[in-house]
Amino acid sequence: MARIVAVHSFRGGTGKSNVTANLAALLAAAGHRVGVVDTDIQSPGIHVLFGFDPQGAPHSLNDFLWGRCDIAQTAYDVTPAIGSPAGEGRLYLIPSSIRSGDIARVIHDGYDIQLLKDGYRQLIGGLPLDFLFIDTHPGLNEETLLSIALADILIILLRPDQQDYQGTAVTVEVSRHLEVPEMYLVINKVPAGFSREALEAKVASTYGCEVVGVLPHADELMALGSAGLFVVRYPGLSVSQELCAIVRRMGG
Amino acid sequence: MDVGRILRIGCGWAVAYGLLNCLSNVYLLPSAPVISLRPQIALPMVVGIVVHPLAGFLSGFLGNVIGDGLSEFGVWTFWNWHAANGLMGFVPGLIRYRGIVRIATVRDFGILEMAVVLASGVSVTLAVLLDVLFLKVMTFPSSLHAWILPAFLTDAVNGFILVPVLLLVTGRILLTLETRTILLVTTLLVTAVLATAGTIIASVWNDLVSREALVTNFYIAGIVSVGLLVLGFVASLTFVRRITDPLGRLTRAAGDVEQGRYDLDRLAGVSSRQDELGQLSRVFQAMVGKVREREERLQRQVEELQITIDRVRKDQDVSEIVETEYFQRLKEKAREFRRT
Repeated sequence: MARIVAVHSFRGGTGKSNVTANLAALLAAAGHRVGVVDTDIQSPGIHVLFGFDPQGAPHSLNDFLWGRCDIAQTAYDVTPAIGSPAGEGRLYLIPSSIRSGDIARVIHDGYDIQLLKDGYRQLIGGLPLDFLFIDTHPGLNEETLLSIALADILIILLRPDQQDYQGTAVTVEVSRHLEVPEMYLVINKVPAGFSREALEAKVASTYGCEVVGVLPHADELMALGSAGLFVVRYPGLSVSQELCAIVRRMGG
Repeated sequence: MDVGRILRIGCGWAVAYGLLNCLSNVYLLPSAPVISLRPQIALPMVVGIVVHPLAGFLSGFLGNVIGDGLSEFGVWTFWNWHAANGLMGFVPGLIRYRGIVRIATVRDFGILEMAVVLASGVSVTLAVLLDVLFLKVMTFPSSLHAWILPAFLTDAVNGFILVPVLLLVTGRILLTLETRTILLVTTLLVTAVLATAGTIIASVWNDLVSREALVTNFYIAGIVSVGLLVLGFVASLTFVRRITDPLGRLTRAAGDVEQGRYDLDRLAGVSSRQDELGQLSRVFQAMVGKVREREERLQRQVEELQITIDRVRKDQDVSEIVETEYFQRLKEKAREFRRT
């Protein structure tokens, strides 16, 4: 059965798009059929990690939401970004438009959330998919709440700092109201020297929620920036190893 | 103070000392009519150091009585020398009152050797004084060569060499880096002095110099040798302390770090040295700096790990979201979506 994975963070800059893209890449490389929807219509960006240029793409998620095309027409095969995957492994990207006019229109008019929900169903059935990742705008607004409501697995990203701790408490509780079946915490950008075990235990007990990953801050990732997938470029790095463990936990 | 023990041991060693004295009275020092080469002088000194100053006095005093009694001198002829021999055992034993029971440092060793030389000087002075006051056997200046110098030189040199050897054998000298170094230096010094003395003595047997000339030269050489021995010894004490002091300071600094005190001011003098110890000290300081940094970072992290959540604000934020009509509808739809 296909699973919808929402990756969320209360504040920006937690590395949400990066973690989403790399988790999707690992699953695809392991032989799964994976889709990534960029619902961060206001500030899209995940396409860069897959080396995808939306300028040359005829359709985006925006076109689907405005009824201009089918959802199937907005899915682009970006498998080459991960090299040669095992078996049937495929990686699809459903990008948002980066045209400033399109972005302004979304901000002004909004879109039909029901339609987005139907779109996910069609994607899962049509491509077909084993996993559908939803990359959202940070914070809790109507779109992100929708992605949480639809998710089978919710991954909440946070950094070890006071503001993230507070926001995460809100997100966790709201998500419990939405009855998300599986909810995991991933702590990102952990400075060197932090005790992994102590942090993991403290966070898990604070939120009553399993911590599936503690990702150390890595200079290599800073250098790479958004120029590619680090699990492909640096598979040996401890961050990559941690992500592999998360993927295994998710049933990949 | 166990008087019985002091008496037993003092008398016991007095017998041994006396027999050895009797033996050595046969072999007199060249040109000294009544003073012999007496390595056994180390015995009462060691008894004084190991057991008690009074035991040392007893063994020295009685030993000399026995020795003279068994020789041709007669038991009480030179009673002033009995007293002098007693002092030989008494004075070195006084180092225990400076807290030295075992020799573990250069300082201890220095005090020990100085006490031995001092004992010889004090004892001979006493013997001379008693003679001048009561016996009036000595004539000056001839007695200087016949009695005083031979007695002082042989006792000082024999004690200086043999007392440490006996203390080593009885385990009273702990073999630390300090004592090993000073023992090495002392051995070198003593060897050099003995080689000089040996050369002079040998020259007499080979008839290279007249006996009369030798007597004068021998004692001048003797005085110079003992002077060199003491000077060289004091110099080497300073030298050895230059090595061992920094080690002691490093050890104490390491102890400080163990106790969580990272203030390493005491190493400033060591770190400025240009030698291996300076290097060790600098590396140590750098290492401690890293350890301190790491510990402070850990401490910070423990503080950072305090996750505080403002419950009131959180509940407010949650209810603002959850109580909207949109959220309630979404909740229904989500249930429906997941069911199908």
